[in-house]
Amino acid sequence: MKRSHLIAIIIIALAVGAIIATISDSGTYADFSDAFANEGKEFHVVGRLAKDKEMIYDPLSDPNLFIFTMADDKGTEKKIFLHKAKPQEFELSEQIVVIGKGVSGEFHAREILMKCPSKYTDNQVRAE
Amino acid sequence: MTYQGEQLIYGYAGNLLIYLSFTAALGSALLYFFASDKNEIKWRKSARIIFLVQFLSTACIILLLLFLLVNHRFEYYYVWQHSNSETPLHYIVSSLWEGQEGSFLMWMFWNGMLGIFLVKTAQKWEPVTMVTVSLVQVFIASMLLGIDFFGYKIGSNPFILLRDHPDMANMPFAKVPDYLSKIDGRGLNPLLQNYWMLIHPPVLFLGFALTLIPFAYAVAGLWIKEYDTWQKPALPWIFSGVAVLGAGVLMGGAWAYEALSFGGFWAWDPVENSSLVPWLTLVAGGHSLLINIHSRQSYRTSFALLIITFVLVLYSTFLTRSGILGDTSVHAFTDLGMSGQLLVYLLFFAIAGFALLLKNWKQIPSHRQNEHLLSREFWMFTGALVLCISSFQIIFTTSIPVINKIFGAGLAPPVNPAAHYNTWQVPFAVIIALFSGAGLFLKFRNTDRKLFLKDILLPVIVALILSLAIILGLSIKRPDLIVLLFTSLFSIGANTKYIFRVLGGGWMKAGKGLAHTGFAMILAGALISTHKSVVISQNSSGIDVTALGKEFSNRENILLMVGDTLRMHAWPAVPAGRQVGRGEYLVSYRGKELHGKNVLFRIDFMKPGEKDGDTALHLFSLFPRVQLNPKMGNVAEPDTRHFLTNDVYTFVNFADLDTDKNDSVKISEHTISIGDTILLSNSMIIPVNLYRLPVNDSLILMAGLSPDSLELAVKAELEIIRMKKKSGYIYPVFIISKNNFISFIDDEDKETGISVSFVRIFPEMGKIHLRITERKNESRDFIIMKAIVFPYINILWAGAVAMVLGTVISVIKRIKK
Repeated sequence: MKRSHLIAIIIIALAVGAIIATISDSGTYADFSDAFANEGKEFHVVGRLAKDKEMIYDPLSDPNLFIFTMADDKGTEKKIFLHKAKPQEFELSEQIVVIGKGVSGEFHAREILMKCPSKYTDNQVRAE
Repeated sequence: MTYQGEQLIYGYAGNLLIYLSFTAALGSALLYFFASDKNEIKWRKSARIIFLVQFLSTACIILLLLFLLVNHRFEYYYVWQHSNSETPLHYIVSSLWEGQEGSFLMWMFWNGMLGIFLVKTAQKWEPVTMVTVSLVQVFIASMLLGIDFFGYKIGSNPFILLRDHPDMANMPFAKVPDYLSKIDGRGLNPLLQNYWMLIHPPVLFLGFALTLIPFAYAVAGLWIKEYDTWQKPALPWIFSGVAVLGAGVLMGGAWAYEALSFGGFWAWDPVENSSLVPWLTLVAGGHSLLINIHSRQSYRTSFALLIITFVLVLYSTFLTRSGILGDTSVHAFTDLGMSGQLLVYLLFFAIAGFALLLKNWKQIPSHRQNEHLLSREFWMFTGALVLCISSFQIIFTTSIPVINKIFGAGLAPPVNPAAHYNTWQVPFAVIIALFSGAGLFLKFRNTDRKLFLKDILLPVIVALILSLAIILGLSIKRPDLIVLLFTSLFSIGANTKYIFRVLGGGWMKAGKGLAHTGFAMILAGALISTHKSVVISQNSSGIDVTALGKEFSNRENILLMVGDTLRMHAWPAVPAGRQVGRGEYLVSYRGKELHGKNVLFRIDFMKPGEKDGDTALHLFSLFPRVQLNPKMGNVAEPDTRHFLTNDVYTFVNFADLDTDKNDSVKISEHTISIGDTILLSNSMIIPVNLYRLPVNDSLILMAGLSPDSLELAVKAELEIIRMKKKSGYIYPVFIISKNNFISFIDDEDKETGISVSFVRIFPEMGKIHLRITERKNESRDFIIMKAIVFPYINILWAGAVAMVLGTVISVIKRIKK
């Protein structure tokens, strides 16, 4: 066998390994029922901010805790404890992805991603 | 209805130019096709003229669009969408390429310019390569057409009028004849109002354009079945692409580091990844071509790599512009409904390129015997393949949204992207560093083993000593990173040795050594600055979140009250100049100021005194800012102090942006019964009871009133419930004098700064009237801040400069040959 064939086989093995690792590394999108059925396991939960519910950010007592309520795609509302500072322009978000886990009825998020379509597609002509 | 003030002539001219550039692209593709077939000089001449027309019309479109932007012609949708009357002149160019249409124009402009260079240099390759270049121009020009083709929208026209745009249909402004005098543009995204954004997009697009020429050469070689003569003319193009695209990608990193607040220069964001990956395959392709030229091998690999590089550039445009990344990236373009068209563009060149390659596969010469283990070509080839695997891994994970779309899988991107990518990329980087270090001491075909070992002995020893010093000095513990540190230091050492060896032959010879050194410096710099970065703003107050689990202990933000001084978290001390010996800063927030559209926060960094009680020494101040943008949302921008050996990076996470609230007071009136609650902005007040005071009460005497003249004095007992604090009581007094004059004694709550006047009594209703004054600045101003120290990040930037410079030198050397 030629040396280059050997290399090719190694390459293919690595590529397959990368695919498998990516799939096993990748998170799962879920709703709250999944997250609370497997408490302690990390999930990506997609949902919307429940704007009528109270939002608590009191940086004077803890700048790294922000509490709000999110409704997942099925409409289930849960309190989210985000262990970060309150993101900029949080109220404008149209869609939220929280990454974290369920802990006894509360969702503790480590990371948050926000989608703010209003930021880019705010197509209102405003009169001065 | 006639609208006032519109200047429609520019729109007509623009549309004419767009059609002209599209038709000219089509024409030059056809003419060059004929020229390639008949190889007649007459066809070639007219093809050149038409191609020049295409380039000039593209340039005119850009100038026209710039003219409209500079003159704030908001009757044009593109101008309205990407700028406003306040956009500073120097950012108008950023407005030009903020939108997809503008970036397509820029891409087409660079392609055209490179096409003209190609016409001048390609000689017999001119017609066969220019067909591909012109075809690419056809596809890009079609993105600007903005016409309906049997119900399918082709392209998005940058000269469409605001009132004609589909999103604006039936908007009230369109019914007003003088709407133009009443509107302003939407403005440029504040994130793009940064000087890096003036230079990063054009450089990146020039890099993209530079991948087209090698692709055109490879396709031409397959087309006319000359598998080995195209490499020499293609080589300078490839390495120009390596230099420019590499610079463009790194500038994107510099922009992210300077202007974005995620804290770093690389976040493995899909948009970043998709521009890095073609660079990796281009580097691999370039080295494969060097093997072609020097030892007549690996032709198939070169063809495949150059085709795939261009396809990856198209794939990158598809990812960023089709809206498919939506959820996963911060800086993708918005979807203009052109994903179908982009997909056709991608598939056309992917299928055409690979079909040509497969058709020729059997005829392309391939080597018969084994390469020698100690030959440069063997390691260059293996290195190129490692680069391929590395780019495959990156693009596969980046494509998760695409995989979801095609297969309907519900995969989410890795929970921790940096850890995911690093697991794979660190070993690849180790191999590449090793090969790029040893490679230049290997000769083509075969190398004397003893000579080679002697050559690399010194670099190995130096790298061992240096990495040991760094590992101990900075306490790097992860084994994979220790190996990467050693191999990249080895590469730096070996290539530096190579540079000194060849320097006698003039600077021109040092190009590849310098480029390799730069690349290894980028690796070492990225490793140290990222792995050893320390968040020095760790919060010392507040609730203990570690109880919830270890991963929740990211107390990376610190609360700073104005005027207070806090000690930052320690970081491994780096002995240098004016820095703090103990690796600690004292930090103080001094206040904020409004500068134009920016609120600047002044943060002082100080050195603690030698002993406790000594005064701190002021070192420097940073001004992280928040750019106010009511239309698109405020944007926090970091500020960074650069030292030779480390950077101190700071940004404000949360702050009250109200800059003039000195003693602003809010007065409210309330008529209520005992037991009712008054809600205030940060507290509640409940009247608990009323007492009649004797007219000679000490309260009245202290207020300076004469008891003899008084008829009645009533004291109200008010409970004040303060947020997060214990509740208290205040006692305002209401007084009626004998001649029916009313006076009152106010009481103030010291905690909240709320003062209450008891101004009336309604005995028949059983109610009282209170006037409450809240002082709004009762609480001290504060910010939530994050500060990170990035050690030795300058190694990375210096490496970037060296790599680009070295590559440019080798290109010049090649061209001179």
